[in-house]
Amino acid sequence: MTHVYIDTPSSRHQEVFAALFRSGPFLIGTAIIFFWAVCAAFGQQFVPYDPLAQDILNALGPPSAEHWFGTDQLGRDIFSRVIAGSRDILTVAPLATILATIIGTVLGLLTGYFRGIVDDVFSRLIEAKMAIPGVIVALLAIVALGTSEMTVILVIGLSFGTNMSRTVRSAVLSERELEYVAAATLRRESAVHIMFVEILPNILPPILVESTMRVGYAIFAVATLSFIGFGLQPPSPDWGLSISTNYAMIGGGYWWTVLFDALAIASLVIGINLMADGLYGALDA
Amino acid sequence: MIARFIARRIALALVTLFVLSVLVFFCCQVLPGNVALAILGPQADPRTVNVLNHELGVDRPLLVQYSSWITSFLQGDMGRSYIYRAPVAPFILQAIGHSLKLASVAILVVVPLGILGGVVAALNVHRPLDRIISIGGVSATILPEFVSGIVLILVFGVWLRWLPISAAWPQGAGVFTQVYHLILPAMPLVLVLFGYIARMARAGMIEALDSDYTRTAVLKGLTWRLVIWRHVLRNALLPTITVIATQAGYLIGGLVVVETLFRYEGVGSLIFAAATSKDFPMLEAAVLVIGITYALATLIADLLYSILNPRIRMGSYK
Amino acid sequence: MARKIKLLDNLRSGLTALENHLVDGYIDGRVSRRELLRHGSVLGLSLPFLGRISLAAGFGAAPTLARANVKPGATIRVACHVPQGAVDPLIVGSEGGLAMIQQVGEFLCIDGSDLTLQPCLAETWKPNEDGTVWTFTLRKGVKFHSGGEMKADDVVATFDRLADPKNASNALSVFKGVLQKGATRKVDDYTIEFHLDSRSGNFPYLVSSDNYNAIILPASYAGDFEKSWDGTGPFKIDKYIPNVGASFVPNENYWGPKALPARTEFTFFRDIQPEILAFQGGQVDVINALPATAGVALLSDPGVDIISVKSSGHHALHMRCDMDPFKDPRVRRAVALCIDRDKLVKGLMKGHAVVGNDSPFAPIYPSTDPTVPQRKQDIAQAKELMKAAGMEKGFQVTLSTEQFLEIPTYVQLIQNWTKEIGIDVKLEIMDYRTYVGNAQYGTSRWLDSVMGCQVWYHRGVPNVFLGGGLTSDGPWNPSHFKNEQFDTLNKSYVAALDLEAKREASGRIERLLLDQSPVVYGYFFNHLTAIKKGVAGVQPNAMNQIFLQSAGKE
Repeated sequence: MTHVYIDTPSSRHQEVFAALFRSGPFLIGTAIIFFWAVCAAFGQQFVPYDPLAQDILNALGPPSAEHWFGTDQLGRDIFSRVIAGSRDILTVAPLATILATIIGTVLGLLTGYFRGIVDDVFSRLIEAKMAIPGVIVALLAIVALGTSEMTVILVIGLSFGTNMSRTVRSAVLSERELEYVAAATLRRESAVHIMFVEILPNILPPILVESTMRVGYAIFAVATLSFIGFGLQPPSPDWGLSISTNYAMIGGGYWWTVLFDALAIASLVIGINLMADGLYGALDA
Repeated sequence: MIARFIARRIALALVTLFVLSVLVFFCCQVLPGNVALAILGPQADPRTVNVLNHELGVDRPLLVQYSSWITSFLQGDMGRSYIYRAPVAPFILQAIGHSLKLASVAILVVVPLGILGGVVAALNVHRPLDRIISIGGVSATILPEFVSGIVLILVFGVWLRWLPISAAWPQGAGVFTQVYHLILPAMPLVLVLFGYIARMARAGMIEALDSDYTRTAVLKGLTWRLVIWRHVLRNALLPTITVIATQAGYLIGGLVVVETLFRYEGVGSLIFAAATSKDFPMLEAAVLVIGITYALATLIADLLYSILNPRIRMGSYK
Repeated sequence: MARKIKLLDNLRSGLTALENHLVDGYIDGRVSRRELLRHGSVLGLSLPFLGRISLAAGFGAAPTLARANVKPGATIRVACHVPQGAVDPLIVGSEGGLAMIQQVGEFLCIDGSDLTLQPCLAETWKPNEDGTVWTFTLRKGVKFHSGGEMKADDVVATFDRLADPKNASNALSVFKGVLQKGATRKVDDYTIEFHLDSRSGNFPYLVSSDNYNAIILPASYAGDFEKSWDGTGPFKIDKYIPNVGASFVPNENYWGPKALPARTEFTFFRDIQPEILAFQGGQVDVINALPATAGVALLSDPGVDIISVKSSGHHALHMRCDMDPFKDPRVRRAVALCIDRDKLVKGLMKGHAVVGNDSPFAPIYPSTDPTVPQRKQDIAQAKELMKAAGMEKGFQVTLSTEQFLEIPTYVQLIQNWTKEIGIDVKLEIMDYRTYVGNAQYGTSRWLDSVMGCQVWYHRGVPNVFLGGGLTSDGPWNPSHFKNEQFDTLNKSYVAALDLEAKREASGRIERLLLDQSPVVYGYFFNHLTAIKKGVAGVQPNAMNQIFLQSAGKE
């Protein structure tokens, strides 16, 4: 006897899909994300130049017929770099979100199910963490651990995971009062079984909603860390990294070295947001 | 009632702050680098490095360092910076002053703007204008500050040349010059906060428009304009307080990116500099200041909320 | 121009054999005028004297500290890096800090922008026969800002303080093996002797502005410089606010000509970009240290004067000689042969650098041997070397370095060039403090990494680059280069007093390093100072020191 509230799955799904396809923002958002996903996967093949090819004596050239978006400090073609630059962020951000979801779910289940001392200890720790801004936490962690893609994923995963555990915890708290949990306890099922086999399937929907929402913030976080110099390593064409290396020259008028990367990040973030908004609308309907 | 509530909240906050101080301390131990080298430069004689580290007291056992720091902190002494070999308090105060200035400019702009946006959206609920404000607001919220900052710098600083692109004003500048330098740096914050405030103002407004109170007021013959005006104030104030309270930590210490982009010496940069130079007393004091700000802000917001919102007070009588 | 033999003979009659040898070299063309001036100044020949020699020999006048044609009474505003930590002459090690102490303090002699030693608080100096004892005669009538007259006791106390291993003295690394506490002795009130541990032909540089900690302080100095700001310089402190800035006013009792500016103001910055913005916005008149890449917009600005001082500062690319894949010197040579040095100078450094030849002997050093052939990019030869070393398939290696000015761009160029011979370089760029770590073997990415790149700032003599960075027991030898021949050559280089003996030793060192290539020295960057048009008389040097006493507005 599982606790499920979806009525007839197929009709519900059809409704949602119909609503999605009527939603303008959703379609626009999906199109933007699809575009960047294609660039990430195949961009290297159709760009006019190798994104890593240097030409130091033609550095900092303004946009021209030859180089549509100009060239950077090493004379690399910015157009090709912007197109190829979606790859790293589109790998790192989703991976970090998946890690956060796993951490958040496990932590939330543990604290919500056991309550008591486990809950108290974790709550204080999490509260202490929440009292200082996320970027400071990430900064301290990355300064301590050193910069690499792996640390970025780890740090964002842990940081978002602890926040997500709060949502999971409150869902578990209300779930564990229901009779099916009591029944399982009577059957002398192990705590692990109750948490992961009985409770988890029933709290999946809020977890999934939260983790989709977090992708947008993960992109925010990855880009921001790259910008402060704690993200990806050169010569990656990553957008945040490019802005970070070039924005110092903004006062000199080299606007093309940063503008296109900034617009690319903005378009990706807005695309994800449009898609999420459409998704909520459809689920609400 | 209220006194007990406050006492409990303060006690909890103190525990949290203590945990925070311990976390920062241990975090500081694993930070790479060497305090003396940060001062002396990499090509210093190892003997010099050892002597300086000894003079600074960073070669003492960890527990000794922490307990000596926390005893003096509890006595009201924020400690001495390892790097500057001077009390940290003036540095922290200066940084907080800078951060507060920037946050104030941002809040002064975003509060009326956000409320206006929320009200307009509520009055046009489910119409295109509402959708644009809502989606635009949320998109702006998750736009990294450096992205909006770069575009703003290019448009207003480099092309139009209306505003300075550095927040660092000349030494001894007056209030107006300072504000003038802070307009551009405040804009990314305005974008981040606008979405939150507009969304909450919209929700509050929709609820108010539906309420019996409003219907009665309209029936009594008050004009729409007056009704909205009265409700706008109360319903907009609450979400604004909440947003500012929950974002207080961010506004004071989380602006590393904006401070880096616009070269502004606020608490965020101070923490960054302290972390990279392993200046533990400075880092600890700065982080705790943010923690205290956050705790105080949430407490005050809760209190204000219960005073301003009649429904919460009614609830407590039941 | 005819050589005035008679005059020359008269001038030379009072010289020692060593000095006469130098002058001979000059007249015969083995030693250039610049080298004569520079090396002559080390031996203690006075500039006016050297000027007369070169005039007599028909080569034009020596540079003088002539004042530019400026109006006195200006306020000169300088953008300066923020000093790291409290300003204390004993400890100072940051660019900003050393510029601060040098505003109020003075040295025995000054390593000027033309790299010639000029007398300052010492009027003359001279070595004994074998270069183990150096005698300095002090200037008379010099007053500290606090009132007392500067005498031998103050100088002795200053150097004892700097050479005492019990103090956190940043000069210990410079004096190691050369000068100990108690080795500075007073002869009379205006004469002191330095009794060295070993011969040193370059000793005067170690007590000049080159050793930036060595400003002369009163014997009674007891720390807390940020309160007293005592010194003998042309400027006195007006106000100092940590992290914000400092201002200075002329010292009315200065021993030399009174400083021209009515006031100098230094504003501290953490980064170069806001310095440039403040400069463009008219908030400052001078940027003391302008990196070429970040400052590219100013380099071509007609409203800006750029002073480009050649330096020996460089970005050293090391390869671990004791670890694969760089154990074989042929592999290291192959890497060095991939580097296109002309492109580095022209493209990366916008022309404000000099090509390096894989040894720390920068062309500005008079002892650098000009006959050593310059290494040039040669991919074909590099490939052959790789093949000979059994590495024709290439390999993967991680290059660790610091996030600092041009370095990230430089290493990306290296990555690109070495790709051609099959080396796959992975970059690991980190905060410079993380990279430097404890600056001791075992706890420093800089000293432990297989391949890395690190900035070394200008030095008037290459002693620290050689002794610290390349000898077997050098404290900062990241390539772990251990070569007895090199160690011996280094000793003879340091001990040599005679310019030609020095050049002989350095030539052999240069050839050895070209063969071994533990470190790639791609270029030596210039020290750039940006000055607003209309401001003149600002005198920077490659050490990041800036002399403002002759500055003013035209």
